[in-house]
Amino acid sequence: MVSINNYLILATVMFLCGTLGVLFRRNLLLILMSIELMLNAVNLVFVSGSRLVNNLDGQIMVFFIITVAACEAGVGLAMVIALYRRYGTVETSFLRMLRG
Amino acid sequence: MFYASAFLITICSVMVVTNRNPVVSAIYLVGDLFLLAAVYASLDAHFVAAIQVLVYAGAIVVLFMFVIMLLNLGPEGRAHLRIPAPEFAVLILTVIGFMAIGTMLLTAQPTGVGGDLSAAAIAADGGNTLNIAKLLFTKFLWPFEISSILILLAVIAAIVIAKKDKKQVVHG
Repeated sequence: MVSINNYLILATVMFLCGTLGVLFRRNLLLILMSIELMLNAVNLVFVSGSRLVNNLDGQIMVFFIITVAACEAGVGLAMVIALYRRYGTVETSFLRMLRG
Repeated sequence: MFYASAFLITICSVMVVTNRNPVVSAIYLVGDLFLLAAVYASLDAHFVAAIQVLVYAGAIVVLFMFVIMLLNLGPEGRAHLRIPAPEFAVLILTVIGFMAIGTMLLTAQPTGVGGDLSAAAIAADGGNTLNIAKLLFTKFLWPFEISSILILLAVIAAIVIAKKDKKQVVHG
């Protein structure tokens, strides 16, 4: 069996990709996709940890994370549509009304 | 098997973040999720793998695709490569945090507390799905019910937010 360290390294790479996307991309949709990437990295850690300690609780937790991710995607995309309808763009550099 | 999946997952993740066309990014995200499902299956988490394909690749990414097509988003212009200082600080902090977690994991030795989760033991006990269902409807019943309320709230919120506004005020 592959050592758990390899799964953790893979999850770290995925999470850092997601972090880079959230921090440096200017497209709101890309930012939401990067958040999905980060959630998937966490799911991978949960499943491999569940296999490591022989306990199914980690896999149950993955289902709750998927539920929350679906809710987050639904509400986030609704916000993207509302923003696009009002301002005609999904670029974050144009959406700075809350900046002090 | 794992190394091939890991290699492809890394490539897909990088392509999701670096591609300038949102449609192509979404397709790479689908590839990413399918490969992750393969990794879950190799970890004997069969039900998680199935749900990953059905819900993530089948529902969430399709929702993304719908929105991309609805807004008719083309490729972005050339991204200006000026890297803002606060974002860079956050990135460095994230990397430092991961290094701290890594050193802790290398020094600590996690120990098992549950039963046998090998493929043979799972098959003898009725399969992964049966065991997941038993846990989900006994130990995790309340979180399960609360998550259904969360989904209901998210549906209402999505409808209210995306509803067409009667009086549209365009700010600068």
